[in-house]
Amino acid sequence: MRILAPAWLIARKDLRLELRTRDIVTSVGLFALLVVVAASFAFPTWGRGREGVAAGVLWIAFLFAGLLGIGRSFAIEKEESCIDGLLLSPAGPEAIFLGKLLATLVFTLGVELVTLPVFVVLLQLSPGAGTAVLILAALLGTFGLATVGTLFAAMAVNTKTREVILPLLVLPIAVPLLIASVEATAAALGGRSLGSAQPWLLVMAAYDALFLMVGLSTFRHVTEA
Amino acid sequence: MATRAKPKAPLLPLEIARTGPDAIAPPSTRRRVLGWVTVGAFLVLGWAAFFLAPQDDVQGAPQRIFYIHVPSAWIGFLAFFVVFVASLRFLRTRDLRLDALAVSSAEIGLLFTTGVLVTGPLWARPIWGVFWSWDPRLTSFLVLWLIYLSYLAMRQYVPDPMRRARFSAVLGIVGFADVPVVYLSVRWWRALHPDQVVFVSGGPRMPTEMVVALVIGIAAFTLFYLYLLTVRLRVRRLRDALEEEA
Repeated sequence: MRILAPAWLIARKDLRLELRTRDIVTSVGLFALLVVVAASFAFPTWGRGREGVAAGVLWIAFLFAGLLGIGRSFAIEKEESCIDGLLLSPAGPEAIFLGKLLATLVFTLGVELVTLPVFVVLLQLSPGAGTAVLILAALLGTFGLATVGTLFAAMAVNTKTREVILPLLVLPIAVPLLIASVEATAAALGGRSLGSAQPWLLVMAAYDALFLMVGLSTFRHVTEA
Repeated sequence: MATRAKPKAPLLPLEIARTGPDAIAPPSTRRRVLGWVTVGAFLVLGWAAFFLAPQDDVQGAPQRIFYIHVPSAWIGFLAFFVVFVASLRFLRTRDLRLDALAVSSAEIGLLFTTGVLVTGPLWARPIWGVFWSWDPRLTSFLVLWLIYLSYLAMRQYVPDPMRRARFSAVLGIVGFADVPVVYLSVRWWRALHPDQVVFVSGGPRMPTEMVVALVIGIAAFTLFYLYLLTVRLRVRRLRDALEEEA
């Protein structure tokens, strides 16, 4: 409880800030939409077998939009040295990590919630029976991305070229997550049921759990001044 | 940096240039012996790979790249495991020598992983007919290579040594934790696409001479790894000394 209560406070701070400025969700949401549209022109998103391509397009959009949002969520802490205030507060580093993770998760899922229906319509997809798997894949994939992203964003914000360094760190580590998300999403968009996507959902759950633990135990080493 | 015993009088760069690097990091007989033993081991490996091991009936001469490909892969794993252990211990002790060990090991691991990614396609071209295949092992090494490349790249952007060491250690731990998940996902990714190139390996049944040549290869490459590690640590010590006085 000593972790969860302050974590919730930090997340609420970020959410309130976002509600007032609408800084991240509008820019990141627009960006995700633009990636989906641009990728629809760049890849063969029509005809038979387009579910595989569509799944790739969707996750590339989620990945880059996610990275953009995660980077922002630490950039705002750097302004006016807010992060120092957070670190001085009684909230432990684990609580800061969980709080930032939670806020990032809400932003990114919010963006995805808007992007997903537009995407399904634009690419003429009909997930039907796969809708539940699609949502599950989006949840698990975004959680993993947000977890690794939050840990690395705290590092990237303290480097010389923060915008470049975050994707550089996240992308190699996120390879298994990307594979599993795309495969599960492709299965879901093909209208297939839980069975064929199950191994991939398990990979994502394992990835999420692993890096949540790693993040919680190493976050204090990336934040100390 | 309180990482090494400082010389009594501070050395100016000019003075380092005058006294030579031996004044800061004295040459070690042990390192020299290790270097020559490594040279000897590679000579033995050359003999074993080309003369002791018989020609493969199916693959012919290209199979012989196996004796440097597999040892390179082994060094990759060993080196990144050393990064992982050194990173864990660094976070506990904050001893910058452990950071030096981790980054030196990562550099050498990257070198040998590059070797894996070069020798693999060289073998694959005559045997599979293509340079590259998204074979699980090859793909895992590509991802591994990217992870440690980003590890070394990130270090360029953090000037403060202590902070750089902390960030590196976290990345060293995260990267190593990622390895099993990468392998699992890449394997299933292939397994679920049956219409790809079938992975044809020599199988576990090998003549004893081939196994002996492989073991010699692993021993020679391990010696090489240790030698390179001592050299990199020495170079790093010298560079730190220069920067400290500059």
